[in-house]
Amino acid sequence: MPTFDFAPLVWWGLPLAAVPLVIHLLNRLRQRRVRWAAMEFLLSSQRRYRTQVLLRQILLLALRMAAVAVVVMALAQPRWQAVGGGLGGGAVRHVVVLDDSVSMGDRSGPATVVTDASGGDTRPATAFDRARRFVTRLAADLAAGSGRRELCVGLSSHLAAASDQPPVWIVPSQEMTPSTMQAVRDALAGAAVSSGATGGAEAVKAAARGFRTDADPTTLWIVGDFRSRDWLSDDGLASALRALAADGVTLRFIDCAAAPVGAGNLTLERLEVAGGVPASGVLMPVEVEVRNDATTPAENVLVEIREDGASRPGLRIDSIPAGGTATRRFDVRFSSAGHHAIEAALPGDVLPADDARWAVVDVRERVEVLIVDGDPQGPAHGDGFYVTHALAPGAAAATGIRPRFAPPSALATLDLSRFDGVWLLDVERLDALAVTAIEAYARAGGGVVFFCGPRTRADFVNERLHRGGEGLFPVPLAGPVDLLPDADLPDLVPEDHPVVAVLAGQRNPLLDAVRVERSWAVTRGHDPTAAGGRRLLSLRTGQPLAVERPYGAGMVVAVLTTAAPTWNNWSRGNPSWVVVMLELESHVARGRRAIATLTVGDPVTIPLEPGSDEIDVDFLVPPSRAVVRHTAMPDGTGGLTARLDVTTTPGLHEARWRRLDGTERQRLAAVNVDPAEGRLERAGRDRLDRGLVGVPFRSEPVEAVDAGMADTTGSSWAIPLLAVVVVVLLVEQAVAYAAGYHPVAPRPRAA
Amino acid sequence: MTRGSRRSLHPDTIARIRRLELRAREIVEGVLAGLHQSPFRGQSVEFLQHREYVRGDDLRRVDWKVWGRQDRYTVKEFEEESNLRLTLLVDGSASMDYAGDAAAGVRPTKFELAATLAASLAWLALSHGDSVGCAVFDDGITASVPARTRRSQVTSVCDLLETPRQAGPGDMHRALRAAAEMLPKRGLVIVLSDLLGDRAGLSQGLKLLRARGHDVAVLHLLDDDEIDFPFEGATRFEGLELPAHVACNPRALREGYLAAINEFLVDVRRLTATLRCDYALIRTGESPSAAIVRFLSRRSSAAS
Repeated sequence: MPTFDFAPLVWWGLPLAAVPLVIHLLNRLRQRRVRWAAMEFLLSSQRRYRTQVLLRQILLLALRMAAVAVVVMALAQPRWQAVGGGLGGGAVRHVVVLDDSVSMGDRSGPATVVTDASGGDTRPATAFDRARRFVTRLAADLAAGSGRRELCVGLSSHLAAASDQPPVWIVPSQEMTPSTMQAVRDALAGAAVSSGATGGAEAVKAAARGFRTDADPTTLWIVGDFRSRDWLSDDGLASALRALAADGVTLRFIDCAAAPVGAGNLTLERLEVAGGVPASGVLMPVEVEVRNDATTPAENVLVEIREDGASRPGLRIDSIPAGGTATRRFDVRFSSAGHHAIEAALPGDVLPADDARWAVVDVRERVEVLIVDGDPQGPAHGDGFYVTHALAPGAAAATGIRPRFAPPSALATLDLSRFDGVWLLDVERLDALAVTAIEAYARAGGGVVFFCGPRTRADFVNERLHRGGEGLFPVPLAGPVDLLPDADLPDLVPEDHPVVAVLAGQRNPLLDAVRVERSWAVTRGHDPTAAGGRRLLSLRTGQPLAVERPYGAGMVVAVLTTAAPTWNNWSRGNPSWVVVMLELESHVARGRRAIATLTVGDPVTIPLEPGSDEIDVDFLVPPSRAVVRHTAMPDGTGGLTARLDVTTTPGLHEARWRRLDGTERQRLAAVNVDPAEGRLERAGRDRLDRGLVGVPFRSEPVEAVDAGMADTTGSSWAIPLLAVVVVVLLVEQAVAYAAGYHPVAPRPRAA
Repeated sequence: MTRGSRRSLHPDTIARIRRLELRAREIVEGVLAGLHQSPFRGQSVEFLQHREYVRGDDLRRVDWKVWGRQDRYTVKEFEEESNLRLTLLVDGSASMDYAGDAAAGVRPTKFELAATLAASLAWLALSHGDSVGCAVFDDGITASVPARTRRSQVTSVCDLLETPRQAGPGDMHRALRAAAEMLPKRGLVIVLSDLLGDRAGLSQGLKLLRARGHDVAVLHLLDDDEIDFPFEGATRFEGLELPAHVACNPRALREGYLAAINEFLVDVRRLTATLRCDYALIRTGESPSAAIVRFLSRRSSAAS
């Protein structure tokens, strides 16, 4: 049966078909009066043509009325539904994917105020409010329509989360009647913007996998904000939509985002420890980065800072350029070991969800560093001495690092996991067990630093440690080479690397003072940057002097000269030596110290020690710190892991469990909103068209969708009807011309 | 000359017509002066007056004695000399009052044109010494001026044509029969009419005039609108004589109307040719002088 997208237009517009008749009657009333002499000829003509003229007039009137009627019907977007689609045969199905990603909390747009379902609280309307209102309207429209109409509604976060299972709907598929409306209203009232980044695109792909396509005409409504980052960067989306369209599913995109009004959105892009040693009582630099997505610069932005929940003086950022970011650094110091939280927050704006961010720091009482010195005289004289004094200068300058010394032979027997870094200083050789132990340590996230010197043997390094790139050592060594003095150029050239970033720049006098007389050359033809390698320092000749390469989860750095002032004078009274060594230790140890910042949706995983920890772990979930208990399960590697499968809210997630000896343990995990959600740039119809090539969809802003919107299944008749209009008008013109109603060129006089 | 005659006589019209000669195509009763041919030539005896010789006068009428004494050419005129008797029958029926909206102030009504033409012809005839009578008719003779030769007769004709009239429906048969009964002698009868009405009555009337021996000429006056039917838009046509109306889009009826009026014109031409009547179709948009020149030229060429 035919249905109309804009049914009221039909009822209001069809009477317009009478307009030609009214005009005709008005013309008869307004006709000119002529006192005429030659009536007999006129009467003769009238007698002759009466029937013909009458028929032509009726035909013309009918054509004109038909043209108006068909235009009205075409504008009302008629559709023809499949047989039985609306009259009790099959059902007309409407599937709604409601985007509940963070960006849907955008409060841009007109300052309308909505009342929360919970009660009297009022707040500006968000895109999600508009989306929810639209779905309610759609449901009401379906309930009021004729025929069997089914509706199911799903939130994008639920649909995407259940990608490997049947989709989870907040309104399961059900026939819409006035009696089922309340259930839909209740379900929608209970829906809220999630803190995840799962937009409509991902949900559509997930939902498409479980989409039931059958003979019933189906419309898929995607109700969201259609942000660029979500809809313009995903190849799988277009193919998923094309497949749905090929199955006969009608695609309708309802854009609920509002045009920005007033200030734009600020996003806390990053909050992380920027370096240093996370030891108790030691200052740690922390960086906070704020992005301004507005079209105008943001002035005097105040960033609130909390350490373990206690406020501390905030930061003021004078100006953040439009579309740019600003980074500020501040120091924190925690007096006790354990997990500590840092929180940063911006003043509320159009999207409050991305205005807060958390970071967790694992502070140790002391940072243990193992120093393995190849000097047979012990660590008190050579390389070990200079490294030790750089890492732990003494009580006057607390670094939190406690160096431990061990001979190379002890590597195989020591529990290396206790150490945040292992430094091997000009070691001549290691036995196989030691090599295995140090490689296992690095693979597990440990940091290893090699210094090379006169005792270093290239054959050992290349065969046992480097092993053609398979081993621990970053580069193969060729042999020691001397660097001829040059008074004009500094010997050391810092590369673009965070360890030496503090020394980078124009002619740093501290580095200029460093003289390198000898170093190990890398085998000719080897590219130190291959396999993820990176230079830290180079010689003025272009040869690498310090090279790093990731190894497993850890990091290995090779400095191709001595730590002691044997082949260079760097460690002899040059302050840059201490700075770079501390930064180097912090850098290589980050794999062990870093606590990954989680994004909403990620699981929180707590590794337990079998035989020491109880297996029940309580997760305290923000913001209410509701307790969710999980039992640890074997992780496949012999360990136990307690896992909070899905995080739904940002904030500090705390895990508490007991050890078998009765002591209580606690760990923190920072779960943050994906800062990309703060990018509120809209895809727009044009870019959607380009991004979704070959996908037949209809996109419209939510405020433009009118009543009767549910009747959109089936094939559209708008284009054929417009073709009919053209034909009718052509026939009308032909009839009117034949009837002599068109002006004609003056004819020659009859006389 | 009265105000009425001045309105009827356009100087331009008179100036052009004076150079022409009104020629009778057939011999009519009466003595012909000038170029008028007459079967009773020379029988008039009572001298009336001399007048200046004008080009075209018969040299046999020149008074040579006067020429001998005064060395100027004069022509003798006689009292009983019977010149052309011209009777102008002007249709005064209601249909002659049509004037289209577009033509208001631009074109005369058919009656105004008929009056102009009649006065011009009267002046022309009187200038040649012919006698001129005039009658206005609709379904009968409503007013008339008997034929006279005197120069002031043109004033009488103009006064008659300017007299306000009660225009009624026309009846050509009755009107022309009354005219035939009114005219005692044969002469030239010029009918100025749109000829709308009963076509059989027109035929009978003209036949009656011809049967009485009159030389009949028909000046058929029609408005441009009646010939071209240029109307557009919804229009209600109300009959000037017929109690009927037609509400229509004129373009829908134009083809049929033009066919009907062309058939009418063909019928009229055929009828006048059959009865050996001169015929000229004159449109109200034409210049009256040009129309008279055309009429007289055709008439003189037909006579020669």
